[in-house]
Amino acid sequence: MIGFILADLRRLWAGSLVVVLLVALATALGVAVTLQERALRLGSARAADKFDLVIGAPGSETQLILSSIFLQPSPLPLMDGTVLPRLLADPRVASAAPVGFGDSFGGYPVVGTSTGLVHQLEVLAEGRVFAALGEAVAGSAVDLPIGYAVKPTHGLAERGGHAHTELAYRIVGRLEPTGTAWDRAILVPMQAVWALHGMEAESDADGRHDHADDLEHDHGHSHDEAASGAKAGHAPIDADAALNEDWGKVPPGLPAILVKPKSIADAYKLRQEYRDTETLAVFPGEVLTNLYATLGDAKRVLVAVTTGAQVLVAAAILLVTILHVGQRRRQIGALRAFGAPRRAVFVIVWSELFALIAAGVLIGFSLGFGAAKFIAGYLSGESGVAMPVVFAAGDGLLMSLILAFAAILAVLPAVLAYRQSPAAALRA
Amino acid sequence: MLGLQLQGIDIRFPGLAAPALAIESLTLAAGSRVALIGASGSGKSTLISILTGLERVGQGRILWDDVDICALSEGRRDRWRGANIGLVLQDFHLFPGLSALENVLLPASLSGAMARDIGARARDLLLRVGLTRPTQMIETMSRGEMQRVAIARALLRRPGVVIADEPTASLDSEAGAAVGELLLELSRESGCTLLVATHDLSLAQRLDRRIRLAGGRIVDDGPVLEQAA
Ligand SMILES: Nc1ncnc2c1ncn2[C@@H]1O[C@H](COP(=O)(O)OP(=O)(O)OP(=O)(O)O)[C@@H](O)[C@H]1O
Ligand SMILES: [Mg+2]
Repeated sequence: MIGFILADLRRLWAGSLVVVLLVALATALGVAVTLQERALRLGSARAADKFDLVIGAPGSETQLILSSIFLQPSPLPLMDGTVLPRLLADPRVASAAPVGFGDSFGGYPVVGTSTGLVHQLEVLAEGRVFAALGEAVAGSAVDLPIGYAVKPTHGLAERGGHAHTELAYRIVGRLEPTGTAWDRAILVPMQAVWALHGMEAESDADGRHDHADDLEHDHGHSHDEAASGAKAGHAPIDADAALNEDWGKVPPGLPAILVKPKSIADAYKLRQEYRDTETLAVFPGEVLTNLYATLGDAKRVLVAVTTGAQVLVAAAILLVTILHVGQRRRQIGALRAFGAPRRAVFVIVWSELFALIAAGVLIGFSLGFGAAKFIAGYLSGESGVAMPVVFAAGDGLLMSLILAFAAILAVLPAVLAYRQSPAAALRA
Repeated sequence: MLGLQLQGIDIRFPGLAAPALAIESLTLAAGSRVALIGASGSGKSTLISILTGLERVGQGRILWDDVDICALSEGRRDRWRGANIGLVLQDFHLFPGLSALENVLLPASLSGAMARDIGARARDLLLRVGLTRPTQMIETMSRGEMQRVAIARALLRRPGVVIADEPTASLDSEAGAAVGELLLELSRESGCTLLVATHDLSLAQRLDRRIRLAGGRIVDDGPVLEQAA
């Protein structure tokens, strides 16, 4: 019997291949969409996990999260610098770190922050944390060696940003992977970002002002983004100036502060308190949930499209099945004429069709998995956000359902085969 | 060997005023050797279909020994046919992708009727019909060779009756003669009842009894008197 089935499949290999491919592609489409959507959701949720509470100036919550968690380059309004010392003094706050965006280097965002945040993100894989204005720590996915001199560009180079010539950062350390967008970031002292954009802490005591007066490098254009308060020129900055992380001196405006509350209760209280006319406090997870709810419609459309494709393929399989029976009427008639029992005919017809569909489904699942992996890999490379392509328990159920459907479908030709006499089938 | 008793058969096809087959009664003695002749369209194939249970009849009785095949379910009739009737058809109905030997064995193996010596018997039969390469793929064989494989297949399970519908019609005269000869010889050796529908007069001449059909009715039935040339 096996020999007969194999001989049959060999003989009808072209048609069989078409059925397998059809099923495989349809399955792959559905699987890839499902897995990719899940990877995106899990990946971004995990990327946001590291950040408990984000405080920024009033505006778009989504924009605040996209910029501070996913490091999307877009201008954020600034909030008053006094928010930071106020937070640091709050007993409910375990830690609070300023973040400043706007610069980039070779496609990597250059993010100003504090040494505290660097330690909070991950341990260092090599080197040390920045200790002077002109030092930087690279994320794990930043393909630059220790000691490399980073000349930041304002904005993104490909979008016509201009280079900052006043300061080059030297990479002195590298973080372990975090699976977040911050893996692609070059972390620099917040103070350096302020200095570059001409914003200084008001009671700044170190000697940078002297240098600024010495050398005239004022290009005379003003920044329109995070540094909208810019007034000073582009004087070189002393890269070796020691870092002073005493935020108590009323720092200039800040786009965002990442806060780690001491407890969950504290987190909710802080979020409540810092939602007013001056600041906006958000939980990244909450914003993402809202975002998914909004994107839910888009996902529904996608799911509808894949479902449509799958229904079409199911119809195609049905048609193939019926044609298959039509073509095989003679063969089935002959099997019966020479005495093959019903069971044998059933097994032959059913198993051939089921083998084809099952092969298609299995290949489709691997193809879909491969495609999702590929896309996730590409997106991770672009964004730094690790996207876990994983099967969930429900997928096994889905696969069983598809196979069960196929199993039932495959019975059809076997049933049809007995609706006519062998004599009639032989004449076919 | 099996004997036949047939009664009250009346087969009509939609769109045909006259019955395709109308036979009051027909008896074939066990072990007899019968030729079924008649013009094209006279109902020979139709008769063979109902005798073998390939086609259901609405009325009448078809008794092979004491089994009324009209009373059997579709599946059981298929099984009964496999065990009791050796079928040889004009179009061979062999299965491509399998070797000669596999083709001979296929019905038996699908029916779970693989006795211990059956492989050896299949090889013997293939040798007996003059085929020395049992592993040759069926689609590479000549038509004459294919019909010989079909004869070996028909005889494998030692059926009580061998029924052939135009076994030589799609072969040239030489191959046809050889196939006819084999059919007669092997069925005589096995002692089974033999019924052959044919246009081939020289083949019909060599059987014992001749039934002539015309318009679905038996118009002539009697012993073959002339000796084979
Ligand atoms: N399924 C069918 N539907 C309608 N008419 C049929 C059907 N089967 C057979 N017939 C008719 O029944 C008659 C007998 O056909 P049958 O095939 O038995 O003839 P035959 O004697 O075998 O002819 P031949 O020698 O050409 O094979 C023919 O007129 C044929 O058209
Ligand atoms: Mg005929």
